[in-house]
Amino acid sequence: MIKTVLQFIALFIILTLVQVVCNHICIFGVAIPIVYIYFIIRLPINLSVNWAMTLAFLLGLTIDIFSNTQGMNALACVVAAALRRPVFSLYFAREDDLANPIPSIQTLGFGIYIKYLLSMVLLFCILLFSIQAFTLHNLQTTLLRIAASTILCTLLIFGIDSLDTKREKRL
Amino acid sequence: MKNLINFIIKYFSWLVFIFYLTICCMMLFQNNPYQHHVFLTSANRVCSAVFGVFNHVTSYFHLHEINEDLHNRNAMLEMEVINLRHELESVKLMIPDTATLAVGEHDYDFILAHVISNSISQPQNYITINRGTNDGIAPEMGVIDQNGVVGIVNVVGPHSARVISLLNPQFRLSCKVKGSDYFGSLVWDGKDPYHAVLEEMPRHVKFAKGDTIVTSGYSSVFPEGLIVGTIVEQIKDMNDNFFSLRIALSTDFTQLSTVRTIRNNRQAEIMALDENTSIRKEDKK
Repeated sequence: MIKTVLQFIALFIILTLVQVVCNHICIFGVAIPIVYIYFIIRLPINLSVNWAMTLAFLLGLTIDIFSNTQGMNALACVVAAALRRPVFSLYFAREDDLANPIPSIQTLGFGIYIKYLLSMVLLFCILLFSIQAFTLHNLQTTLLRIAASTILCTLLIFGIDSLDTKREKRL
Repeated sequence: MKNLINFIIKYFSWLVFIFYLTICCMMLFQNNPYQHHVFLTSANRVCSAVFGVFNHVTSYFHLHEINEDLHNRNAMLEMEVINLRHELESVKLMIPDTATLAVGEHDYDFILAHVISNSISQPQNYITINRGTNDGIAPEMGVIDQNGVVGIVNVVGPHSARVISLLNPQFRLSCKVKGSDYFGSLVWDGKDPYHAVLEEMPRHVKFAKGDTIVTSGYSSVFPEGLIVGTIVEQIKDMNDNFFSLRIALSTDFTQLSTVRTIRNNRQAEIMALDENTSIRKEDKK
């Protein structure tokens, strides 16, 4: 239990630092790498939604402070955390059957995991960029940004996942 | 009472959700960037420490281009010094007693600072610099680099400060075309970090592509004549009496490194004057 908590704290800090670097990246002017969403995706499925929202809020706020976006990421994170369970149950109905509540390729299988991952990332990108669009409305650019960022983030999260599975195998 | 408690227990998640949502929206819709708390911006201590570490590494990347820019700037200034010296010589010949030439104190000083964090892809961009109140930085100071105008300081911590970048639609800069007195306000349109739009230019005046745009000096933040950019094209404005110009910014926001903060020594005086006149106006009402 304590090991899991520590792991998540470490994940929180690492993802925040990585995101600080990623904030400077903007591929073709549209695709923005958002890696901290991985934290929300990885939270154990049986974690209560209140805790998930609290952690997501803290994460979003930290990112906001670093990127000077006052509440933008925090709002997207809270909504994404609240919708995590419903999205998950779309693809995986038998929650109690899970041996390990942390979603990953091993616990869910490739097909379900990628569907869950893609829908969460898409959901998050839609939230984030529509919140941004309040301040700068340009529908075409917003849609392009959502699509490009979703693809980029999914690929990046796969990269992070493969690092993680390698480590687990070695152990 | 029992029902109320049951209700709260039943919908506790919703209450938590609404609570966080309210906090987020309050932060999000607090539009005025001058009211942001230091703790919630990148000017706080932890952020500036983290950015400082990253900056140690990344500041080496663009040194070549920056060096080139500085050489060019240096050459330009040297030429200007030579020209001014010639001018001074000729003026000295005309005035027999140079003691009558008033030298006076300088209106503006510079404080050098390093950019430790910068964004260009957000709809509202901010820059963090590694100088704060301890180094004499105060809100509403102008920030420039060797190529042109960068932004204006808005939140200041003890060791770091946040600057509203020119790439932020909330920042409007009063500019004019060099050599004429027609002025307009420059604002970023959010499309790309290399261009901005100069709005409210009078319709009857003709401008050529490539004309230089400089600050007008109508606010006490920037001195007159700082380079902002050059005209790229004319774009139609919705408003019939004015038109807009698309400006290529002279500052390269993708490669900011060392910037200068402008301290206006007469700003307090000007502000006091403004306040006095506004008080008098209120008295008249």
